[in-house]
This record gives sequence, structure tokens and C-alpha cells, in this order.
Amino acid sequence: MTSIPISDISKGYKLIFDNYPWIVIEVNFVKPGKGNAFYKTRVKNLVTGNVLEKTIRGGEKVDTADVSDADMTYLYSDANGYVFMNQTDYEQMTVPLKVVGDSKDFLIENMECQVTLWNGEPIQIQLPNTVTMEIEYTEPAVKGDTQSRVMKPAKLKGTGATVPVPIFCAIGDKIMINTETREFKGRTDK
Amino acid sequence: MVDRVRRFFAERGVLEVDTPVLQDGANLDHGVQPFRCGDRFLPTSPEHALKRLVAAYRQDIWTLAPAFRSGERGRRHQPEFRMLEWYRLGWDDQRIAEETVEVLRTITGLSGQVERLSWHRAWERAGLDPDAVQAQDGFSREERLDLLLTERIEPALGRDVWTVLCDYPTSGAAQARLGRDAQGRLVAARFEVYRDGIELANGYHECVDAAELLARHQAELAGHPGCTLDRPFHAMMAEGFPDCAGVAVGFDRAVMLGLGLGDVAATMAFPHSGAES
Repeated sequence: MTSIPISDISKGYKLIFDNYPWIVIEVNFVKPGKGNAFYKTRVKNLVTGNVLEKTIRGGEKVDTADVSDADMTYLYSDANGYVFMNQTDYEQMTVPLKVVGDSKDFLIENMECQVTLWNGEPIQIQLPNTVTMEIEYTEPAVKGDTQSRVMKPAKLKGTGATVPVPIFCAIGDKIMINTETREFKGRTDK
Repeated sequence: MVDRVRRFFAERGVLEVDTPVLQDGANLDHGVQPFRCGDRFLPTSPEHALKRLVAAYRQDIWTLAPAFRSGERGRRHQPEFRMLEWYRLGWDDQRIAEETVEVLRTITGLSGQVERLSWHRAWERAGLDPDAVQAQDGFSREERLDLLLTERIEPALGRDVWTVLCDYPTSGAAQARLGRDAQGRLVAARFEVYRDGIELANGYHECVDAAELLARHQAELAGHPGCTLDRPFHAMMAEGFPDCAGVAVGFDRAVMLGLGLGDVAATMAFPHSGAES
């Protein structure tokens, strides 16, 4: 942990306060004439995802967080959590369920993800923006209607998660899903 | 824009002067940190040198000079910028405030009426009572006042008009003399000019009381680690400084406003974007 003057920080810096690591989303300097100087920041908690505004006096120092991102491959899950392999040093690491969160719905074997580490411990995982998964079960397809915005639930193979898909989709279809919004993005060619 | 300013002052008999970039002691304005350069200081404004010239030559003068402020970097701040500053002998804050708006109209090309607004009235207009503000969230009362000013009051100032914010509380006197407002309150003869929520100028009916000014600067030393008093400046004050008004315009901000830009760095060929060393 290193302390740096607040005037040195900019967007993307990672700080520690209140026992959490935070990433700086926005920073602006304000100072009324002949008044006190402040840095107004918007910061996001890297563990909980909370966003808050924090005002720091000009001239103060802040502690930077030892936070880094590692490229990892998802291997399997066990009783302790989800096991990943670091693509740089091939070391394996177990990421607990509470860190994986809802990402578990789209986590399939050999998927490449980014794992955020704080003091060497995983605090967040970032899936690819779009994943391709197979439909394990859904109601029979309505043929011909490929423009339909009418949706039905589909259960995904591998994770058992359910997402809404258009009614023309069928069991065995491979579909693309936005991992952020959980939206159906299209079918891949069969 | 510089040409227009030069013509403006030439037509009015105000003499253009140059001021040094290295000065013996520090400017000691509240919340403004100077850069140290060897055993000298870079000016945070050309105020001290200009006042020494005013005292020596008893002449109306102006300059467009570089100013340096450590740790200031944001949409409206740069650690290096230009200050347009001038002094008028025998004038008061109200008269120079009117001329300041004329200069700002000249630089920016923006029209608009002048609105004089007292510091207290600005708080009332925002639905706030400055006397009710308390220390909160680890910030002192004075800091809370500054934060509320930047969040709730400044953004509303100078909308389609040139707002002259005046009659500051005595705690914000800086180098202004003290006087009474219409309600008989003791206030500082200081003003700032705002347009589109942007603070553009700060001026005073200058304090001529050498002992008073020395005491104010000595009180600021605690908040300026490593800084020393500007002794030649205080020696000049002790010998006698004439009755006058002075004002400083953040020239680059006025350029930003005139060009309709959102960031003062966009007006500069060499802005400081990264962290300061």
C-alpha cells in the first residue's frame, strides 16, 4: 500500500478506504476563489459494486490499493467454489461463490475470464461480454417467426440457468447472450 | 483577445507592465499553494509585484502574467495559467467591478447586464442560511460553506448576466479592506465576477493597513508549509500603499468562456494533463 497526494490521482486509480478497494470513476477539482480546495470523486467499490461520491481535501494523501486483473481459465466447480487457472503461471485458484455471484449462470468450462485480485485474493470476475451457450430445454419452437419479439424461457446446458429467448428457438440451438444484461443476442449458425 | 485587452487599457491610459516570475516570498492566499523554486517562489498571481509598482510610481497599471498554483488541476484549473490583473488609483471595489465586466465583455464578446448580488443574498436565493451551516462529515464549518458554495450557489450565478458577487464575510477578506454593508454588517470590500456559473475575476478595494495585512499573512503561514513571508512586499506596505482598487481575471477561463469550451485545458497549447511531479 502506497500513499500518494490526492492531486496525483485520475480516473482508473484504485484506492483503499473504509477497508475496501475502490476504483476512481471520475475526479474533479473544485475551489471557490480564496476558499478551500477539494477533489470531488466518484468511486466504485470493487467488492460490492456500490458507487459513491467522496470529497477529499486538496493536499491530503490517499492510500492506493494493490489491485490487479489476471487472465484466467475456468476449470470446474467444487464444494469450495469455482476453480480457475491463471494463464500466466498456471497456478490454480478457487473463487468463492459470493465473488462469482450471478456470473455463475454463464460460466462454462474452459471459458476465459478476467479475475480481479486485491492483495492476491479474488474480489471480482469479469466474463466475456458475449457468451455462446446451448439450450438444454425450452418449449417447442414456433416455426417461421424469426422476427418475433415474443419471448419464452430457456434452460441453458452446463449451468442450468434460465434466460428469455425468442419463441423460434429450439432445444439444441446455440445462442449468444450478453453477460451484462442477460439478453439474447442471436443464434449461431448450425 | 490579447490585442483587444491591450487596446482597452491603452485607450484608458493604464500602463502595461511586466512582473517577475521568481519572487522572494510567497503569496499567502487561503487555499492556494505556491510552487517553491530553490529559495524563491513562483507567483500564484502577480499581485505583490504589481502593488509594489503601484506604490513606487502611483500609476494605473495592468499586466497579463503567468501564475502558478500547485495541486490545482481540473476542468477550470491548471497549475500554470495566465492572470490579467490591474490596479486603479482612488477607485473602490464597485467601480473596478464595473470595469471588470467591460473587460470581460471585450475578451469574450458576450453581452449581458450586470447584476450585483451580496454574498448573503446569494445564499438566501439558493434557500440556504450560511449561519445554520455546521461542521459535518469530517469537514469544518468553513469547509462546508466552501463545498455548499461550489455545489449549490456558484452553478446558478451569472446565467445570462454578469453576476458581481460582493460584500463577502470578513473571514474571506483576503487582501480587501473591511467596511459596512447596507444592513450595517461588517463585510469585506471584495467581489468576484461570475458568468455561466464560472468564477472569472476577484477584486478588492485594497487593504492599505500594513499591520492588518501582515497579521492576515502570518495567520496563513500555518496553512502554507515551507512558505515564507514576502518581506519586500510587506516593507512596501509599511512605507505606505495608496488608496486603490485591484482585480485579477483568470484570462484562460475568460478565453474558454468566449470560445464556448468546457475545459480550460482546451484553450492551452501545453496543458498539464497528467499528475504533477
